[in-house]
Amino acid sequence: MKEIRIFFRKCGRAKYISHLDLMRTMTRAVRRAGIPVWYTQGFNKHPYITFAAPLSLGFEGLTESMDIKLIQDIGMEDIVADMNSVLPSGIEVYSAAEPVMKAGDIEKAIYKLTFSIRLKDFAAFIEQDSITAEKRTKKGGLRLIELKPFIEQANISENEDGSAVMEVTLPCGSTQTINPLLIVSVCNKFFADKGLQSHIFCDVLRLDLLDGQGNSFK
Amino acid sequence: MGYDLEDLFRLVQKPGRYTGGELNSIIKNKEEIEVRFAFCFPDLYEVGMSHLGMKLLYGLLNERQDIWCERVFMPDTDMEELMRENSIRLFSLESRDEINTFDFIGFTLQYELSYTAVLNMLELSGLPLRTADRQDNHPLVIGGGPCVCNPEPVAGFFDLFVLGEGEEVILEIIDLYRRHKDKGYKKAAFLHDAAQIEGVYVPSLYEPDYNRDGTIKSVTPLDGAPPKVRKRIIKDLNTSYYPDKFVVPFIDIVHDRAMSEIFRGCIRGCRFCQAGFIYRPVREKSPETINAQSRALCESTGYEEFSLSSLSTGDYSEIERLIPMLLDWAERKQTNISLPSLRIDGFSEELAQKLNVLRRSGLTFAPEAGTQRLRDAINKNISEEEILETARKAFSSGWTAVKLYFMMGLPTETMEDVAGIADLGQKIVDCYYANPVKPKGKGVSVSVSVSCFVPKPFTPFQWEPQDTVEILEQKQKHLRASITTRKITLNRHDASTSFLEGVFARGDRRLCGVIEEAFRRGCKRDAWPEHFNIGTWLSVMADLNIEPPFYANRRRDYDEIFPWDHLDYGINKSFLIDENRKAHQSITTPHCRIACSGCGAAVWKGGVCVDERN
Repeated sequence: MKEIRIFFRKCGRAKYISHLDLMRTMTRAVRRAGIPVWYTQGFNKHPYITFAAPLSLGFEGLTESMDIKLIQDIGMEDIVADMNSVLPSGIEVYSAAEPVMKAGDIEKAIYKLTFSIRLKDFAAFIEQDSITAEKRTKKGGLRLIELKPFIEQANISENEDGSAVMEVTLPCGSTQTINPLLIVSVCNKFFADKGLQSHIFCDVLRLDLLDGQGNSFK
Repeated sequence: MGYDLEDLFRLVQKPGRYTGGELNSIIKNKEEIEVRFAFCFPDLYEVGMSHLGMKLLYGLLNERQDIWCERVFMPDTDMEELMRENSIRLFSLESRDEINTFDFIGFTLQYELSYTAVLNMLELSGLPLRTADRQDNHPLVIGGGPCVCNPEPVAGFFDLFVLGEGEEVILEIIDLYRRHKDKGYKKAAFLHDAAQIEGVYVPSLYEPDYNRDGTIKSVTPLDGAPPKVRKRIIKDLNTSYYPDKFVVPFIDIVHDRAMSEIFRGCIRGCRFCQAGFIYRPVREKSPETINAQSRALCESTGYEEFSLSSLSTGDYSEIERLIPMLLDWAERKQTNISLPSLRIDGFSEELAQKLNVLRRSGLTFAPEAGTQRLRDAINKNISEEEILETARKAFSSGWTAVKLYFMMGLPTETMEDVAGIADLGQKIVDCYYANPVKPKGKGVSVSVSVSCFVPKPFTPFQWEPQDTVEILEQKQKHLRASITTRKITLNRHDASTSFLEGVFARGDRRLCGVIEEAFRRGCKRDAWPEHFNIGTWLSVMADLNIEPPFYANRRRDYDEIFPWDHLDYGINKSFLIDENRKAHQSITTPHCRIACSGCGAAVWKGGVCVDERN
């Protein structure tokens, strides 16, 4: 039995597929493609599929991955082609290979955030000395998180239409995880307090997942 | 600043209900399309996507190059609110175009309480609700499904109805529409011609007249429309269309699996059951057809489960030949077979074991009534001994939970019959404890679900009064008090919901105004218990001088003209009268395979009516 990691992009209409729904979608895709996968042997047998780092509903991702176990040898290019012939639009497999790292090695994620606010208006928000967000802890309490260091390190630019774009690296691992929507929600609160009425939307694209040394997840 | 559709997806719960883009959903080039068809299901995505009829017609219409059929569902409250706030009209999932520009808007009417949802969807589309107010530039609003056997309460909102099975007639309607479009479409001229197609009912071409007591005096066809509209059926299901692909949803829906229809109709003739009469005659598919269709569907969808669908799967005459055929590949492909509406008693133990029937679906029974006398009156041909024997079998193979379905308010029912429900539950509990090999340390759980009977058109009980809400509630209390063990859990249905259903089921056109006004006062989602408000309905009816007991709780004479008498479902009224009389004498009628009871469905010369009887 050979473990295989399948890398794919999840964009467009597919961004509204939640993690749970993606598991189902991929299970069925693997079955449609006829890939010889190992089934769990329990009460409800199903193809063994695991995902390294779930992607939130509404996010797009360029380096998503899932692991399966093969019970028969099959070419990696065949897996890519067979999967792509049966996947719904928006999900595209681009490589398959034996896993190099463990899912637990992931520590950071790089996101590209495209805000529905112009860069020149956005500046007031990022120039604050401190940008804190409340995060719910597992015990149900609230904890304050300082986002400023991450935003300081971020690459901030302007889209063709003048809207603000931020490429930011955030913790995404077993010890700490920060959801990029935290930035969006404090941003919304900031401008709402200033009397700006309309809600600021943000397109979230996960560009890459990194281990502690900054290597891309493989 | 208004939001656009894409913004809305980020603000609502479960955007997967609205985004489309699922596997096997069909996208076409608008430029090449002559007829655009919006198939509307007046309920949430999760409910509508589970419906086999929609999948069938979706596939059938999209086979045609000139037609693009797209799906539309009722948005949930959060989405609806945002759509209204931002002036976003109801759109189809495939193209995301507003459906008010389509040629046809087709609704499937599966249950009476979806009527206000239909109005809500029309309003969200920006269309006038009444057929009389829609002009030549508006889409045609058409309806099908079981409620269409008495569509009079919604007759004012629809341009036409399709009676019976829609596969053939829908294409005839569209072809006629294309011919009219070529020579300059006028709605009135089209409807005049459409009324000549067998199975098409154009309600605006029929004028009811009423007696002083409120009953129907006559229904006059206008403009050359036929005096009786006969339903359509597909004679041979082996050669008729069946989809080889289903749209595979991303989000979890109610029935998330492939479905193979194995036959239409039902041989049983239970007297309360509308489906048992309006889908006659029973027509089966061959095991070879079912096998090929099931396999194709599983391969194109990747579903890990498929169900054999029908009104009573255990009555499929070739089940013992079919199951091994299916298992041959299903086991290899790790695909499960599920058998809903199964009478386990008619099943060999070997097959039951192979299918793991008990593990998956649990043990479910529908005795419908608590005493043998009442079961005979409703022609539910199942004996107490059969029920107990199956329960014994299940318990000895380790099963510890049983579900029982009953109805309350059946014609001729007494308090004794109601208490009989508790007795039967108790006997099943006793069965469990009498079993010497019961699992250690585990109790039994018997769940008893009791719904309220609603008399329906085209059944032997169409003359019967429905129990009032007060009586139903008394009976519910009596049942509650009759259950003395905590091993039995009782689930009761809301009596007022059934009451409103009862009003609509045998209603006439005077209810159109009631439905429209209730909708204006906020009733939009009556089929969802958390949104159902009987108070609003009662006050609307009071304001419009409509007395609901006239429709729900009144006993009709055999010679009364019903609002649906000009619709012909192939069931003779004389047969139904006969059945009604037999019910009052607790005399049963044998099912179609034992003997023909002369219901009238033989006019189609199809299915069980021409098969050799065993």
